Amino acid sequence: MTPFDYQRIPEAAAVPAQLTPTVRPLAGGTDLLTRLKACLDRPDALVDLKASDLGRAIDRVDGGWRLGALVTLSRIQHHPGLRADVPALAEAVSQAATPQLRNRATIAGNLLQRPRCWYFRNERVQCWLAGGEGCPARSGRNEHHAVFDTDGPCVATHPSDPAAALVALGATVTVLDGGGGERELAVADLLVPPTDERRVEHVLAADDVITAVTVPSAPRSTYLKAMDRAVWAFALVGVAAAVSADGEVRLVASGVANTPWRLAGAEAALAGPGLTPEAIDRAAAAATDGAAPLAENGYKLPLLRTLTHRALTAVA
Amino acid sequence: MSVGGTPRRIDSEGKVTGVTEYPADRIPPDALVAKVVFTNQAHARLTSLDVRAAEVTPGVVAVFTAPDVPVNVYGLTLPDQPVFVGTSHTGRTDVPCDVSRWEADHLALVVAETAHAADQAAAAIVATWEPLPVLGDIDEAMAPGAPLLHPENGLGHNVYTTYNIRKGDMAAGWAAAAAVVEATYEVPYQEHAYLQPEAGMAYIDDHGRVTVEIAGQWTHEDREQIAHALDLPEDEIRVIYPAIGGAFGGREDTSLQIVLALAAWRLHQRGEHRPVGCVWSREESIVGHHKRHRGRIQARWGADAEGRITAVESEAWLDAGGYNYTSNKVLGNLHLGQGGPYEVPNAQVTSHAVYTNAVPGGAFRGFGGPQSAYVAECQMNKLAEALGLDPVEIRRRNVLRDGSIGITQTPMPDGVTIAQVVEACAAAASTPPPASPSEPFTPFATLGPAAGDLRRGRGFACAFKNVGFSFGFPERCEAEIVLHGAVGDDAPHGADLFHAGADVGQGAHTVFTQMAAEALGLPIERVHGHFSDTAITGDSGSASASRLTWMAGNAILGAAEEADKAWRNGDRPAVGKFRYVPPPTEALDPETGVCTPNFSYGYVAQAVELTVDTGTGHIRVDRVVSTHDVGRAINPDLVVAQIEGGVVQAHGYVLSEDLQVRDARIQTPRLSTYLIPGIGDGPTVIEPLILELADPIGPWGARGMAEMPMMTYAPAVVAALHDATGVWFDAFPLTPSRVLARLNESGRP
Ligand SMILES: Cc1cc2nc3c(=O)[nH]c(=O)nc-3n(C[C@H](O)[C@H](O)[C@H](O)COP(=O)(O)OP(=O)(O)OC[C@H]3O[C@@H](n4cnc5c(N)ncnc54)[C@H](O)[C@@H]3O)c2cc1C
Ligand code: SF4
Repeated sequence: MTPFDYQRIPEAAAVPAQLTPTVRPLAGGTDLLTRLKACLDRPDALVDLKASDLGRAIDRVDGGWRLGALVTLSRIQHHPGLRADVPALAEAVSQAATPQLRNRATIAGNLLQRPRCWYFRNERVQCWLAGGEGCPARSGRNEHHAVFDTDGPCVATHPSDPAAALVALGATVTVLDGGGGERELAVADLLVPPTDERRVEHVLAADDVITAVTVPSAPRSTYLKAMDRAVWAFALVGVAAAVSADGEVRLVASGVANTPWRLAGAEAALAGPGLTPEAIDRAAAAATDGAAPLAENGYKLPLLRTLTHRALTAVA
Repeated sequence: MSVGGTPRRIDSEGKVTGVTEYPADRIPPDALVAKVVFTNQAHARLTSLDVRAAEVTPGVVAVFTAPDVPVNVYGLTLPDQPVFVGTSHTGRTDVPCDVSRWEADHLALVVAETAHAADQAAAAIVATWEPLPVLGDIDEAMAPGAPLLHPENGLGHNVYTTYNIRKGDMAAGWAAAAAVVEATYEVPYQEHAYLQPEAGMAYIDDHGRVTVEIAGQWTHEDREQIAHALDLPEDEIRVIYPAIGGAFGGREDTSLQIVLALAAWRLHQRGEHRPVGCVWSREESIVGHHKRHRGRIQARWGADAEGRITAVESEAWLDAGGYNYTSNKVLGNLHLGQGGPYEVPNAQVTSHAVYTNAVPGGAFRGFGGPQSAYVAECQMNKLAEALGLDPVEIRRRNVLRDGSIGITQTPMPDGVTIAQVVEACAAAASTPPPASPSEPFTPFATLGPAAGDLRRGRGFACAFKNVGFSFGFPERCEAEIVLHGAVGDDAPHGADLFHAGADVGQGAHTVFTQMAAEALGLPIERVHGHFSDTAITGDSGSASASRLTWMAGNAILGAAEEADKAWRNGDRPAVGKFRYVPPPTEALDPETGVCTPNFSYGYVAQAVELTVDTGTGHIRVDRVVSTHDVGRAINPDLVVAQIEGGVVQAHGYVLSEDLQVRDARIQTPRLSTYLIPGIGDGPTVIEPLILELADPIGPWGARGMAEMPMMTYAPAVVAALHDATGVWFDAFPLTPSRVLARLNESGRP
């Protein structure tokens, strides 16, 4: 860890203007601190969002819910309204990390956490995503890596469970920039594969702050997660299924790509709104259409089909 | 009665209230901070080392490197490792010290006022390396033309220890076989993951002794190794163990002992008298200490139509890593276990330890036993399948009994009880568990299974494991008892017990106190223990090989008798010292393996019931009946704790722990990527079943038992998984990914 300044700014609206590539926002710190300790990030200063009036409320809004950026995962997990109305999100957060971490971790921070690829997280290695050259995972240990879109420079998976649920639910984030401008962005558009010029998994600029997450209702939704152990492990594969207000079924997988991965083939195979056993069989079989697994992660394909099947059965 | 009861642990209050001091708690605020600088090179030659910038970094007190170490080599059972890799040294060892053979070889020790200064100085060290070919695994190390990692041993190859067993007539054995089963097994690493990462401090005590307070498993062996490297007489070194946060074999070898002692000693010579402390992070701990050995075993077993073993042909290779640690001893244990706890008329067994550039293999609960028991028991279960026999019945027909000749062609020590253990386990497993597991299969929160994907299975395995050091390794244990009372008193009113044995968390000091109280006929509160300090206690041998209760008990019985004699003689205080030496053992004959390997054994059998979700590869172990002959449970609650803890540790080994090593480097040096079981993962029901069939020479009949729960879990789980799916798993851990991949590849179920 390299030394840095610690700053507190009471007004959230004043924070974005202070941010630069080396002055970064700190929320729960559960991801950022691990990155600092591993010297993956070496900011000059951190601005503690918790010291500001950035949103912490969970509000009912027309057609859904609005969560302040600082809402913690444990509050979502235990919120009766969210559990009933957006079960996919509640189930995703309750399977993320541990109770202690969930008490601290915020929903905005969760979406912006960095990959868990062990080469990336290893201070003794500098891979492409960490600013170096080459991807040691591609030819190395890649049991936990991506099975879709594996032609890109990086095959790390997005570590967030809530992200897959939020994409399936059609959620959006509200972003405030350093010039005082506010914009709304679908979570599906917030998270994108890294590129040579932008080696992160999201599109935010250095002076952007997420202020809220808006989630449309979907009582028929679920998030299933397969892990290497019962708790406190990142997803091998997760599947979120949500039936939207207008009856559209959205299927999004975690643990399979650089970003939450929309299972377009499976959605198409459903061919119509009726979730009949036959339609579910067809969709599960199509869940892995287009997959290109690496040497050690072929097991993710049957796992993805199984979870897709069970998730659809659960919301049928 | 102190023996056979469960008094409150003598360390419980301090541990519950937080008063107990572990090594890191002992470091005073004014201590200097030491940082070990790893070479970070799996295999490379050091061509230059410049520490001048580090030495002048603000806050830095000293930087120690190879030339500071009088004898720059160490090793518990084979001195083959430089204390520091360096370009020059004092010339008093044959081991070339300019080569880094492991990423965590030590390059320097920085001592500074603060951790930050130490980090900065470490970063300012300039080393230049000539890369050498990295031998990432045993295949690379054994390939023709592979560079020699230890040319100094003169062998001309990296396979540096080989043991044999040649017994009977193999051709006759195969001719008599009605069934032959053959497979190649791969066994994985395991990380000890003790709660307390390595930590310690060193200073010069009031008597001028170089003193190290640290967590270890054998104070006197640590002292010997420090004395050797510093070239000082042993009585000028003192080793003290404060409370120890777990060990499991991972502290059998030294970690910070030598470098901390070196720093305190050298600083003292320069007039700097502050203590020096060092605390490793979890990453440093995982990268910086040895692991349970990974390895490969090829086994071919034959049995006649009645299921009696006719031949065992087996060859094993253990990845020893860059240095021996205890590999040559672990290998012996593995070797002996390759034929299982059975009568084997014809055997051809070979075992090798191979140097590579990967993390060293070393001691870990079971000490080579779990690897060979996995293979032997899988082979036995496959023979049962091939012959249509019940797994318990085939064992009944083969297990060792009193008077049996073991695979090394000498009689077993009296008190062979594996047959009784197998019967008791089978009987308990065939009755429903006391409280049947009513919970549904929901280990993964929302991931409710589709009922059609669930398969259930049952598996059985048994094993034996030596108690005490094997194969002629010098075995002894000392105890001292001092009785207090007035000259005219009939009986002493209290006693002091002096014993070096390490309480690594298993409760050894409570058990020693119980045994002393019992031997002296005193209430337990009247016995005051003084433990694990080489300045006041005699050599106890290590907390390993399931030996400590057994050896200490015999030593305490002897010391009590001596003290009693002195008491009756009128001595006040009455002092009794005793050095217990068990029956001798012998090294393996190089060609045939003939020897008396051990003086005592523990016996174990486990029956496992599990459910596997064939859609996701997840395994839930519903029930384990873990059956142990412990001879005499000196403290029944602690015996149960060893069984439950051992089963959960074995569960991690078999099901989730997956140390990723690539190009000889550990890729998962964190507990977020190296997954030990959580509270939701272990077996739903663990039923410890304790038999008390006395060991004829054990104290109060006790046998060692602490490693036994580790021995049979892998083969029992694999047998249950086979029962459930029809598929054999010749490698583990059985992570969902591997289970799913293997089920898919075999087209089942
Ligand atoms: C051991 C462990 C296990 C875990 N397991 C899981 C798991 O199973 N599933 C899962 O989904 N997650 C898991 N996590 C990740 C955890 O959920 C995230 O670390 C957490 O949600 C991040 O939130 P935070 O508030 O602590 O973010 P921080 O660590 O404070 O910040 C994360 C990033 O987001 C940025 N940031 C934070 N808030 C804002 C904002 N409002 N606007 C702009 N930028 C912002 C920060 O600058 C930083 O780059 C695990 C973490 C750990 C340590
Ligand atoms: S997968 Fe991505 S993060 Fe991992 S090594 Fe490759 S480039 Fe780096």
